[in-house]
Amino acid sequence: MNPLIQLTGVTKTLKGQEEPRQILAGVDLTVNPGDSVAILGRSGSGKSTLLSLLGLFDRADGGQYLLNGNDITSLPERKAAVLRSAEFGFVFQRFFLLKHLTAAQNVAMALVNGQGWLPARKRKAKVMAALEKVGIAHLAKNKPTRLSGGEQQRVAIARALVREPKVLLADEPTGALDTETAELVIDVLLAATYSGCGLILVTHDRQHADRMARVLRLTDGRLSRANERVLT
Amino acid sequence: MIRMSGKFRSSLIIGGQGIRARKLRTLLSMVSLFLGVLAVIAVQAGGQVAEKAMLADIELQRGIDGTESLYLPQHEKTSQIVQETLQGKKGVSAFGSTQITIGEPNTTPLNPGGSSFDPRYSSFGGSGRYTTVCDASGMCYGKPVDEKQPPKGAAIELRTTTMIGDIRQFRPFRLVSGQWLDFDSAPSMSPQIVLNTAAAEGFKNNKIPAELHVQGGTKNATPRIVGVVDDGQGAYSATAYVRADELQNWAPAEAKPPAAAGAGKGAPANFGRSSGSGGLSSVFLAPGSEGIKQTLKARLAAAGAEVDGMSSQRTNPKKQMESMLNLMKIIFLAMASLVLLIGVAGILNVGLATVGERVEEFALRRAVGTSRMLLTFIVLSETLLTGLLTALAAIGAGVIGFEVAAMMLSGKLPALADMSFPWEAGMAGVIAGLVAGLLGGLIPAIRAARIPISTVMRA
Ligand SMILES: Nc1ncnc2c1ncn2[C@@H]1O[C@H](COP(=O)(O)OP(=O)(O)OP(=O)(O)O)[C@@H](O)[C@H]1O
Ligand SMILES: [Mg+2]
Repeated sequence: MNPLIQLTGVTKTLKGQEEPRQILAGVDLTVNPGDSVAILGRSGSGKSTLLSLLGLFDRADGGQYLLNGNDITSLPERKAAVLRSAEFGFVFQRFFLLKHLTAAQNVAMALVNGQGWLPARKRKAKVMAALEKVGIAHLAKNKPTRLSGGEQQRVAIARALVREPKVLLADEPTGALDTETAELVIDVLLAATYSGCGLILVTHDRQHADRMARVLRLTDGRLSRANERVLT
Repeated sequence: MIRMSGKFRSSLIIGGQGIRARKLRTLLSMVSLFLGVLAVIAVQAGGQVAEKAMLADIELQRGIDGTESLYLPQHEKTSQIVQETLQGKKGVSAFGSTQITIGEPNTTPLNPGGSSFDPRYSSFGGSGRYTTVCDASGMCYGKPVDEKQPPKGAAIELRTTTMIGDIRQFRPFRLVSGQWLDFDSAPSMSPQIVLNTAAAEGFKNNKIPAELHVQGGTKNATPRIVGVVDDGQGAYSATAYVRADELQNWAPAEAKPPAAAGAGKGAPANFGRSSGSGGLSSVFLAPGSEGIKQTLKARLAAAGAEVDGMSSQRTNPKKQMESMLNLMKIIFLAMASLVLLIGVAGILNVGLATVGERVEEFALRRAVGTSRMLLTFIVLSETLLTGLLTALAAIGAGVIGFEVAAMMLSGKLPALADMSFPWEAGMAGVIAGLVAGLLGGLIPAIRAARIPISTVMRA
């Protein structure tokens, strides 16, 4: 069976204000279905850059990216949009909910792709199922301004799950939450892996990282196994 | 509801959500666009009204679009042949002119020559009693001919159009009161007369004895005035309309009227000799009456009339007017477009500012799988909907303005009275709104689609 994700020697150079800087200098990464991977690293080490390559927001300069065994290293944007919609779910540190939409409408947003929208009834069923999964179906009609931070992030996770993605990419999803709420969010993310979804979690929190099956560290543009957990 | 492809429908729905989320902003965009769209609507409606009013006027004077007028040769058999040929035919009408006088016999009428009673125009006309005199400076004017005239009396002279077949199918006179001539019945012994508004005015304001005299005739009759029409000549002349066959009862030389079947036997010998005595001088033909025209020519030629010189002429007022109206419309539309452009600049301004503010939203939409194309549609649909809303508001304002203007002007422009807001103006408004939405939304939409998705990671 093909791994879900297989990166080999992926490089990325970003052109900053000054001279171009190589952020990723040959990243290798394999993720299987149901796998959960934590990525640690200093601020500015390139964790978000790596996620944006994985999520096809951007393309690598070199190396190879296989998704389900298919080479998508230099996929044209039109096809990338289709994959983003069909295969990936994203959760960000800031929740990025649209203020003018209700929780349900925010989730439904992810059901729009290049082809348009699902029919209204199917859409509604999927949205409610996703909200159910994160435990806030009862808040479906609320606008984000009337939700707590944890609730907002759970709406964002429902938005990521509503397409039933094969890969969940989470960039510091707990960064803006208190410890207890953060635990809850990690629970929800991990629950998705039980049904075969791959999870890649970028975090600064070692405890959250340790709940993942594997913990990697990004240093000098490369991924390596993180040190043994520090006992507290 | 129209079924649209999911792509357009979803972008319209999402665009609608965006509009609802930013009501004040949408309102401001609409305000900036409103005048421009209204200007386009006004130009289109104004052009439509002007065209209709002008067309109605020209049609009254010269015949509806496509009418062919044929001038008849002067021959003693002309009227008889025309009458026989036209008998029972559709889409054709022959007419001539004569003068009739109603009122005290052997007096000079109140309006010599059948001129209008409007003092501004009454010096025109008076054929035979006026002559044109030019002075040393080259100025010419009408001067009454110094001939022995009977004393003035309570009589009105009418320039009279005699007809075979209904002339109103070519010149759509508006019925003011009473009814139009009945062309279907057998010719009556007392001729039906329809007056134009000027003539009717004359009869209303003066006590006129009911005695009718046909120019050149010797017997007087009792006129039967059945109706009043606006023939577009009201300002210039007092006019009457009669059936040629009915007028023949009082025609010169005591001519007997021809049988309804049109047998030539009883036709008067001198009928048609001159236009002054009720002879038929022209024929109006509807498009596609080529056959009748050929028959008429052949029969006139057989009778020995000079048909080579028979000239015909087709009126197409629409075509004549169109070039001028179009030029006017283009000039006005150009001005309206300028106003519209200011509105477009307003939408564009708001749109660009909004894109700057909504960078995250757009990046997020792309991140969750919305394609570039669809995102462009979403942003465009917001401005298109704004343009459409503006168009609806402007059309509403246009309809109200139109109704008010029609109410105030209906006295002066009777053609307006039964006109409703032209749908073309509404269409023009919708198109203007959509074009403005497109122009104002395109650049913001393209910018929105170019926002890098990884923006969501760095925010
Ligand atoms: N558009 C860009 N152009 C040039 N350089 C960039 C751009 N975006 C980010 N960088 C640089 O790339 C480096 C990696 O950034 P990245 O966001 O991947 O770091 P990170 O590991 O996610 O950090 P953090 O933990 O603070 O989120 C940073 O030094 C940043 O300054
Ligand atoms: Mg980051």
